[in-house]
Amino acid sequence: MSEGLVQISAGTTIVTVDHVSLDYLQEKEPLPVLADVSLTAAKDELVAVTGPSGCGKSTLLRIISGLIKPTSGDVRVMDSEVKGPRNDISMVFQNFVLLPWRTALENVLFGLSSRNDLTEEQKNAKAENALEIAGLQGFESVYPGELSGGMKQRVGVARALATDPRVMLLDEPFSSLDDLTAERLRKETYTLLISPQTSVQTVILVSHNVEEIIELADKVVVLSSRPAHVVGELKVDLPRPRNKQSEEFFRWVDRVYSLLS
Amino acid sequence: MAEPHRPLPTALEMPANVRGGQVISLVEVTGSIGRRVDIPKLADELGADVAVLLPILDAAEMLGLVRVEKGDVHLTELGLKFQKTSKEKLKILKDRIAAIEPFRTALELASKGKQITAAQVAESLSEIGLKWHYQPDINESLIQALLIHWGIYAGLLKYDGKSGKFTKV
Repeated sequence: MSEGLVQISAGTTIVTVDHVSLDYLQEKEPLPVLADVSLTAAKDELVAVTGPSGCGKSTLLRIISGLIKPTSGDVRVMDSEVKGPRNDISMVFQNFVLLPWRTALENVLFGLSSRNDLTEEQKNAKAENALEIAGLQGFESVYPGELSGGMKQRVGVARALATDPRVMLLDEPFSSLDDLTAERLRKETYTLLISPQTSVQTVILVSHNVEEIIELADKVVVLSSRPAHVVGELKVDLPRPRNKQSEEFFRWVDRVYSLLS
Repeated sequence: MAEPHRPLPTALEMPANVRGGQVISLVEVTGSIGRRVDIPKLADELGADVAVLLPILDAAEMLGLVRVEKGDVHLTELGLKFQKTSKEKLKILKDRIAAIEPFRTALELASKGKQITAAQVAESLSEIGLKWHYQPDINESLIQALLIHWGIYAGLLKYDGKSGKFTKV
């Protein structure tokens, strides 16, 4: 747990997405992308957001991160409105987004470049620690081009963790990986993010992979096609670790599919 | 005639594109289904093509974690132990890959604190007829990738990306 964060009990709402709508302007006409989307993510909860391809799932994640300003509604972390990118919200991207001319350590340090409150030694220590907990001890001076997809994504996770975020946003983080690598990284990432080893208090995952969602999520929010609105919300009360071969698991997968179709 | 410094035909070669995480997944999923599972079912459970699965099975067999017989994959005693432990996984890998090429040659060349490159390992292995690709530059980059992904992952080698040199841990 990061220093400076007050102990918060499980179940406390950390993220509130409150009646968020977004219109893009297309030839001066508003093109609605998100229509009145509301959801919450609580302490120790992994919330999965799914919906048809192109419905605006990733856009919603960027609004939560403060990268895109909604047309109406707002996003709050605890009681503080998100008005732009901030250190307590981190994001892991589908395509890793690493700087190829920087080593793994330098990529993680890049995520800390705006932290003027830290000395260079403190930044180095944080970056090395983040790489270690992401399973990359020994890979500090390896360049992204020399890493496999799974390891590149571990660097992405380390970079996101290094800033001691309260909120972790995952945008299809396993979809660029082969199935076996994704399987392993899914398990490890969940265990890591929900552990007291990190500062993360809540996780919001965007994914179109329904089995992945049922494997990981405490709550599933299903969006409609564009303009996206919430068509259903399910609390997944399957015990962990979840058995992907069980009938109960498939029943949950079916429930999500029936909301999607 | 000088005796070759290692037996030629029996050398174990790590398949070029297999990574540690894939082998770990394979063993964990096999163990979650049962101690014995047929290859098509395993491919189905993993959502992987059989063609993709075969080199991963070769690597797992080389590491002594599974045995493949008549289309079935069996977890060995070591595989069972590997599946159940989270703390000792890397130690088991470390112990096993030191006997497999190109790690074996890399460790030999990097003994006594020497810094080595993938090119040196490739050259040494080419002398005894071990290549992962007929084109020397591709062969070298495949060896480099294997040394990085397995050698560092298992804690056998250290690597400096700026100089491209490996040292023994």
